[in-house]
Amino acid sequence: MKALLIALSVTGAMYAQAPPDFSGVYYPVNPFGRFTGGPAAGAATSTPKGPPPRPTASAPLSDGSRGRAPDAPSLTPEYMAKWEMISKTRIAGSSEYDLTAKCLPPGMPGMMSMAYGMEVMQNKDKITFFSELNDALRRVYLDGRKPSQKVLDDPTYAGYSTGHWEGGTLLVDTVALRDNTFIEGFTPHSDAMTVHERIRLKEPGLLEDQITVTDPKALTKPWETVKTYRKAKPGTGTDELREFACAEGLGEAK
Amino acid sequence: MKVPPIVSCAVAAAAILLAPLAQAHHSNSAFYVTKVITIKGVVKEFKWTNPHVWVIVTVDDGKGNKVDWKAEGRPPGILARAGWTPKILQPGETVTIDLSPAKDDTASGLIARVTKEDGTILANAPPPTE
Repeated sequence: MKALLIALSVTGAMYAQAPPDFSGVYYPVNPFGRFTGGPAAGAATSTPKGPPPRPTASAPLSDGSRGRAPDAPSLTPEYMAKWEMISKTRIAGSSEYDLTAKCLPPGMPGMMSMAYGMEVMQNKDKITFFSELNDALRRVYLDGRKPSQKVLDDPTYAGYSTGHWEGGTLLVDTVALRDNTFIEGFTPHSDAMTVHERIRLKEPGLLEDQITVTDPKALTKPWETVKTYRKAKPGTGTDELREFACAEGLGEAK
Repeated sequence: MKVPPIVSCAVAAAAILLAPLAQAHHSNSAFYVTKVITIKGVVKEFKWTNPHVWVIVTVDDGKGNKVDWKAEGRPPGILARAGWTPKILQPGETVTIDLSPAKDDTASGLIARVTKEDGTILANAPPPTE
């Protein structure tokens, strides 16, 4: 009897600790923030009465000409100067510092904006986040491995991510990141940046990623942000992402 | 229909002819994204390509000159979810395009929306996710 109770107890604990399944295609909630005349300003779905309003913008302003947002990462003077330098090039119309315009991956943590959609693939030992923008992906190892010195000496755009479950929340740490990507927008960082995430299903179909970025060289304090993503419903035509194949358009101006 | 002023068609045409065949992939910083102008013309070519689609539109400037505008759109993946298809625009059809002009003053811009002659509106993104 005692053995049976123990067995039932163990089984119950296993069920209680079974991690949630994040698998699926998601779209970010409010990926660009709110701006007048947003990308969907001319959407036909918003036109039950009369013609839709003429759009007043084609995209969010992203050249820094209106300064930094109040909730943007707090930069040290050295990195603030870098941001201001990049802003000047963008205001002038240059894409010089825009990695994605060169078909390079957006990198962590910027890629978690997932502006064009995200696909999550999950098994017991690994969870993979795929971004439609630039066909970028990152892998989070869940099997207990840790980044080796070889990995630490070889930084990449997505970095090296390891994670573990605490109840229904996935805790992820990312290291070995290149220093030429952006934290968000075009906010620069150093090679000392690390990223910590707490990912959970806030409610069925709504995935939340609480991101904390630490960089003792570039940031005066850790920067925190929260991204949320809505899972696409089957049969709506949106539960499949499309190939991006960015290089297809490089070098063509027609 | 409001048509953007073209100060000098000769200059504009020269700019197009002399423009290097590069800059295929712009970031938004190449455009005055918070300014939208409207052009109306005939589709010369529609390219359903990543990372951006392109609509080449021949615009009559009202002075007997025709200028080819290069309207750059968002990626096929996004636009397909907004109702576009690879054949949604055909050469020869008339379209009205609301777009943000390029900062380099060439006859080009970033598409805010395209309106077909029958009134169909092609938005540059699907409705936002709530």
